[in-house]
Amino acid sequence: MTPPGSRGPAAATHRRAVGRAGPPRRPPSGGPTDAGRASPRRRPPSPPNPRATSRHARLRLACLLVVLILAFSALGVKLALVQAVGSDRYTAFAESQLVHTIDRPANRGSIFDRNERELALTVQQKTIWANPRLVTDPAGQADALAPILGLDAALLRDRLSRDAGFVYLARKVSDPVAAQVKALRQAGVFSYDEPKRFNPSGSLAAPILGDVGLDNNGLGGLEQQFESVLVGKPGQLVVERDRKGNKITGGVRKDVPSERGDDLVLTIDRSLQFEAERALGAQIVATGAKGGMTLIMETATGEILAAANLVASPQAGGPPQPAPSNTAVTDVFEPGSTNKLITITAALEEKLIQPTEVMAVPGQIQVADHLFKEHDPLPAQQSITDIMANSSNVGTIKIGQKLGKDKLDHYLRAFGFGAKTGLDFPGESRGIMLDPAKWSGTSLPTISIGQGVSVTGLQMLAAYNTMANGGQYVAPKLVHATVDSAGQKHLTPPSVRRRVISPETTAAVNTMLTEVVKQGTGKAATIDGYTVAGKTGTARKPIEGGRGYEAGAYFASFAGFVPAEKPAITIIAVLDEPGTSIYGGTSAAPVFAEVARYALRHLRIPPPPQPSVGVMAGGAGGTQWAGGTPPGPRAATVTAPSPTAGRPPSTTP
Amino acid sequence: MAGATMTRQFGPGLAARRRAATAWRHVDIALVVSVLTCVSLGLVMIYSSTRTRLAEQGTDPAFYLKRQAAFVVVGVVVMAVTALVDYRVLQNRAPLVYGAMVLALLAVLSPLGVERKGQQASFELAGFQLQPSELAKVGLIVVLAAYGSLHGADLNWERVGVAVGLAAVPVALIYLQPDLGTSLVFLVILLGILLVAGAKGRHLLALLALGVVPVVAVVQLNVLQDYQLDRLTSFLDPQNDTRRAAYNLNQSKTAIGSGGVLGKGLFAGTQTNLSYVPEQHTDFIFTAVGEQLGLVGSGLLLAVYGLLAWRVWRAAALARDLFGSLICVGVLSMFVFQVFENVGMTMGIMPITGIPLPFLSYGGSSTLAAFAAVGLVLNVRMRRFA
Repeated sequence: MTPPGSRGPAAATHRRAVGRAGPPRRPPSGGPTDAGRASPRRRPPSPPNPRATSRHARLRLACLLVVLILAFSALGVKLALVQAVGSDRYTAFAESQLVHTIDRPANRGSIFDRNERELALTVQQKTIWANPRLVTDPAGQADALAPILGLDAALLRDRLSRDAGFVYLARKVSDPVAAQVKALRQAGVFSYDEPKRFNPSGSLAAPILGDVGLDNNGLGGLEQQFESVLVGKPGQLVVERDRKGNKITGGVRKDVPSERGDDLVLTIDRSLQFEAERALGAQIVATGAKGGMTLIMETATGEILAAANLVASPQAGGPPQPAPSNTAVTDVFEPGSTNKLITITAALEEKLIQPTEVMAVPGQIQVADHLFKEHDPLPAQQSITDIMANSSNVGTIKIGQKLGKDKLDHYLRAFGFGAKTGLDFPGESRGIMLDPAKWSGTSLPTISIGQGVSVTGLQMLAAYNTMANGGQYVAPKLVHATVDSAGQKHLTPPSVRRRVISPETTAAVNTMLTEVVKQGTGKAATIDGYTVAGKTGTARKPIEGGRGYEAGAYFASFAGFVPAEKPAITIIAVLDEPGTSIYGGTSAAPVFAEVARYALRHLRIPPPPQPSVGVMAGGAGGTQWAGGTPPGPRAATVTAPSPTAGRPPSTTP
Repeated sequence: MAGATMTRQFGPGLAARRRAATAWRHVDIALVVSVLTCVSLGLVMIYSSTRTRLAEQGTDPAFYLKRQAAFVVVGVVVMAVTALVDYRVLQNRAPLVYGAMVLALLAVLSPLGVERKGQQASFELAGFQLQPSELAKVGLIVVLAAYGSLHGADLNWERVGVAVGLAAVPVALIYLQPDLGTSLVFLVILLGILLVAGAKGRHLLALLALGVVPVVAVVQLNVLQDYQLDRLTSFLDPQNDTRRAAYNLNQSKTAIGSGGVLGKGLFAGTQTNLSYVPEQHTDFIFTAVGEQLGLVGSGLLLAVYGLLAWRVWRAAALARDLFGSLICVGVLSMFVFQVFENVGMTMGIMPITGIPLPFLSYGGSSTLAAFAAVGLVLNVRMRRFA
C-alpha cells in the first residue's frame, strides 16, 4: 500500500498532522456531540481534517486492499488455468459441439448394357421438407401443398405443426412439382437435391436390375448384388452450427465431395432384352400363361444377352409385367422333357447305348408302383434319335434304367444342377436335387424324364449351352465389366469352363437335337435358313407344399441353340401354365424361334456357308442341313431396318 | 495545498466558487479513463454477442449496441452531475435517499412493477426497464456511509445493529423479487462499510455467522426456486450436465477456455456469437471477452478493473472526511464483489447469480448505477482538499 505521503509536501503535512493528532481528532469526527452531522457544509477548510485516515481506518483500508488483491489474483490465476493451461480441452469441446458433419450421398454408378447404353442412372431430384418452427400457417399451407404433392391435407397439416426442426413433406418429387411448391413461396418450406434412380428404358430388365430404395441403396437384383461397387463414397460437409442446429451461413469448414460409384457394364444387350421381353410377353398373352422367362446366352462365353422375366397382368388382357424377381435364377421348376437330353447324353457318353441303336419302346412301362405312359401314341421300335425327337417317356426311362441312379445323378450335377451357377445373383437358387441314397423306387424313371428334380431356368440354359459348346460347361455371366470413376474399364474374369461330355458324344446328341426341330416335337422352333438344335419340355407342376402334381398345370419349355453347326446363341423359353397350349413344342418353341430370329439378325450371325465346313463331325448332321439352307431367304431376313442393313457381309459366303 | 490556502484568504462566496473550479482540476483522469475503456469494450462485446442472433431474427443487429450506447451517454451525464454536486450535501439527506429507495423497492413489488424471467424487478418506462435495485445499491452506499460517518470509528453492537437493520430492509425487498445476487451485493456493501467504519472483529464475525445461517436455512428449507438452487450449487459439480445451470457453466467455461491465450479474434467467437452461452450480453459478457480476445484481452480487462479498484481505493484513502471515505469503500466493495462474482461464476469458482459485470454487461439500470457510483468517487476525490 502506498501511503498518501508520496503526494508531496501538502500530503506529507497531512500525514504528520494525522499521525500526531490521534486523540485530538476524535471529537470533531465522531464525538458524542455528533459533530459529524454538521461537518459537510459551511465547514471551513482549514481545521484539521476529519479524514478517514485515522491509523485505525487506514489499517482497515489496508485490509480491504488485501482482499481486493486476493480477489483479483484469484481471478487471474483461474483465468490463466482456463485459458492457457486447459485451453486445448475447452477448444476441443467447443469444436465438437460446433461442428456437425453431414453425409453427402454419392451418386450411384450407372448400369449399362454391353454396348454401354444406359439401363439405370442417377438423376438429382428435389425433396420437399419443412421446418415447422418457421411455418406460420400450418393449416393454410397444408391445404395449398396437398394438391400439388398429391398428399392428404390433414397429414401435411400434422407434419407442419410438429414440434421439430425438420420434417419430410415429399421425397424426390418431379421437377414440375418442385417448381410449383417453390412458386408458393411458403414460410418454412424448403427443398434440396437428392439422387434418384432412374431407368430410362422403363421396366426393361427390371427383375435383373433390381430396385433402389429411397435412401439410394440397392434393394434387389444387381443393384443389391453390386451395392458396394455402385454406391460410391459418400462425401462430407462439415459445417458450423449454433446451439439450435442452424447451419451458419458461410460456416463451411470442410467440403469433401462425394465420389460417384463405379459403373456396371452388363452382358445384357438392350435390344435383345427388349425383343425377348416383347416376344415372351406376346406369347404370355396369347397362351394365357401365368408368366414366363426367356434367356439368351452367348454360347462361347456364357454371357447372358437377355433375361426376360414376366408375369401376366393382374387385369385380364393387360400387358405382362416384370416379375417381382429375376425368376430365371431365383425360382425353380421341374424341367420335364428337356431333362431327357441329359439322360440320353449320359448313356451315350457312358457307351451304354449307341446313337444308331434301335430300341423296343412299349406304350407304357410299370416301374415300382407307377405306370409310366407316353403322352401320345408312338412307334414300338424307335432309334435313340427317335426317342429324343419324339420325347418318348418310356424310351428315356429305359435308357435311364440302363444308366442307373448314381450315373444319372452324377451327370445331372456335372451339367450344373443342384449347384449355384457362380453368378452370385441375390436370391439365386441351387435347384432341388435329392440325394440318390434317398431315391424311391420311382425316382430313377421320374428323374430320367425330368420330374422329381427342380432346376432354375438358368441352370437348364447352361446345360444346353454345354452341348452347344461341344461338351464344355461355361458358367453364366451377367456382368461384363466395371468402370471406375476415372473411366477405367475393369473386365470381369472370364467364366470358368469344364468338360462334361466328350466332343464326339456332343456331336451325336446335337444331331439328334436338330431332328427334334426338323421332325419332332420342336418343329415350331424352326428358323428359315438356319439349323436349330433344341428340345421341348412339358412338365407337370408339383402341388405347392403338398405331394403329387397339380391337375392340368404345366411348365412348357424349349431350350436349344442356333446355328446347330456352329452354335452362337443358346436360348431357353419357359411358360408358366400356358392355358391354350400346354406343350413346350407349341407354346415355348415359337418364343424361342422369334427371339432367336431377331438375335441372329441383330448379332449378324451367318449360317455356316458350306455344309462341309460345319463343326459337326457327325455325317448325319451334315446331310440334314446340306440342301435346306439356301442363302436367298436368309438374305431377306437380314435386310432388317437396321443401320447396317445395306451391308450384307455376314451372309455373303 | 495552494488552493486551500487561497480559499482561506478570500471570502466564502468566492471561496465556494473557487472550490468548485479547483475541484475539477483534481478529477481522477485515470479512473475516468479506466471506466471509459470498460464501457467501450463493453459496447464491442455486446455487439459481437448479439448481432448474429438479432440478424437471424431479422432485426437490427446493432439493436443492443445502440441502446447500450445511449445508456453510456446518459451514464456519463449522470457521472458528471454526481461529481458536480458536493457529495457532502448527501450526508444530511441520507434519510431522504433511504426513504426513496425503500419506496421504489416496495413499488416494484406492487402491480406497478413488471415481471420478467421470474423476477418482479423492474418498472417499464417507454420501452426501457428501470431496475430500482441497481440504483438502490448506490443509495445504500450513501445511506450506510452517512450512518457510519456519524459515529466515526466507534461502533458498538447497537450501532452495528442499526446499520444491519438499515441494509436488511432493501435486502429483504430485493430478495422478494426474487434477486438473490443483488441481495448479496447489498450485504457485501454493508460488510465493507462496517469494516472501515470501525466495526470490531467480533461484530464482523457475528455478521458472517448471521449470514451463513440464513443461507443454510434457505437451502435446507427449500425456500429457493429449483433453478435458483441449481444455479447456486452447480459450480460445485460442473460435470453434472443434466442440469441446466451446469450446462450454462460448461458452455461458459468452454467459451473462455477455447479462447486460449490470444483469443479467436473479434467476431470470430463461435461460442458466444452462436448463442451457446446463456445471457451472453448481460451476465455472461465476460465469456465474449475471454473467447474473442483470449487470455491477453481478458487479463488486460482484469488489469483495467484492478486500476479502477485501485483508484477508488485511493479515493477512499485520500477522502477528506469519513463520509467520503466510506462512500468510496462502499463503491469499492460493490465493484470488486461484482467483478469477482461475475468473472468467477463464468469460470466456475463462484456460484452463478444474476450479477452484471460493471460497465461491460448490457443493461440501463446497472450502467447508470455504476456511472453514478464512479461519479460519487470522483466527487469525493476531487474535493479532498476542500
